[in-house]
Formats: sequence, structure tokens, C-alpha cells
Amino acid sequence: MFEIDFGNQSQIIFSGRLDAAQAEKAQAFLDAIPEPRVADFAKLEYLSSAGLGVLLKTQKRLMGTGGGLKLINVSKHIYDIFRYSGFDQIFEIEAAGE
Amino acid sequence: MKQKFKRSIDSLDLVFQFTERFFSREKVSASAQFPVNFSIEELFTNMVKYNQDNPNEILLKVKRKKDRIEVSLTDFEAQPFDVTSAAPADTTSPLAERKPGGLGLHLIRKMVDTLDYHYENGYSKITFTKLLGQGNV
Repeated sequence: MFEIDFGNQSQIIFSGRLDAAQAEKAQAFLDAIPEPRVADFAKLEYLSSAGLGVLLKTQKRLMGTGGGLKLINVSKHIYDIFRYSGFDQIFEIEAAGE
Repeated sequence: MKQKFKRSIDSLDLVFQFTERFFSREKVSASAQFPVNFSIEELFTNMVKYNQDNPNEILLKVKRKKDRIEVSLTDFEAQPFDVTSAAPADTTSPLAERKPGGLGLHLIRKMVDTLDYHYENGYSKITFTKLLGQGNV
């Protein structure tokens, strides 16, 4: 199950599993974000390369507005994916527990 | 354990239910579950994407062997695509030059311990193994 919504501080809350079947849902939500935001990954259990594609497309668009997504509470496994893919160089990331 | 899955992204829920049953039965730690699930999804979705007109289901097998998990995905009546010889992914270009896609196989190679490909008479089979750490029974 995957959910994406706004938190009470206007951050984007990702929950559950962002796999290829959920990528379109995530992209549709993120496409409506007009400006840089914090994305809270505390409840995100799983992210596949389809999810990386969604995040990359969003980041490219938002950087044109003067800033991108800041990812917080990123779990070890998902942080590893960002490191292996070089996405830790194109996103501001805070690991869970920082 | 083995099961065939319909060639569709919508099968992913069933794929993960299948792996969850395996992980529960074999008491596989979360640290091994993530890379196994990730790699299965990448390989399964590649088979779906690149052989869309193929009516055959995709066979997924998972097995616990002492200190490792062995996984294979087999596509039938398929065109060959050797995942072990795919071109390296771009992981260093700046944001403006990065293109979506192309990272799945690179990430699999980072997360699993062996990756093999075998093609014969239309059977396209990808096998990978993941070593288990001390946290697993």
C-alpha cells in the first residue's frame, strides 16, 4: 500500500511502498507541487527505481523554481539506494535519526 | 517456493505477498528482504516492459540455501536480454543531465551477491543470490 499526502506543516508525507505500480499515483501528486518542499520518508518502507524516476522528474522541475525537495527521515536501505544511484548528490537528504 | 504471475505491473502486489510468505517461513531479516524484493521488482518489471505482447506468465522461484537466498525469474517464448552485460548506468552526471531510467540493473548489482543469465530455446532465466547475515536463522 502506498500513500502520499501533506502533513500539518505542509511537508509531503510518503507512506508504505513506492513501487512501479504506485509510481503514477506518486507522480500525479508531485506534479501539482509548485515549489520546494520537505518530503518526510519516515513511513516509507520501500522505494524502487520507478520511485527514483518519479523523484528525479520532480527534482528537475522544482530546481527550476529555485530549490528542490529536501528528503528527511530516510531509512538506511533507501539511503543506500540514493548513494548507489548518485542521487545523494542531487537531493538534500537527512537520514533517519539525524 | 515457486509461482507464476501474470505479465503486468498490477501483479506486483501478489509478487510481494508471495515473497512475504517466503520471508516469514524462512525468518529472513529485513536487511535481506529489501534487496531481494527490490531486485525481484526490477527484473519482473523489465520482463513486463520489454515483452509486452508475450501472453506467457512469468515464473518466480525463491529458495533458501544455507547461508543465502536464491531467486530466479523465468520468461517463456522471450527474446534474449542478458542483464549481466547491460551498459553501466549514469550515476555521476549533474541533475540537468540525468535521465530517468537505466538504474535498476546497476542497483541490483550493488545489492545482490551474484547475478546470472541463461537463455535457451526461448527460455530467458535470470538468477540472483543474496547472502544472509548473522541476523537470520
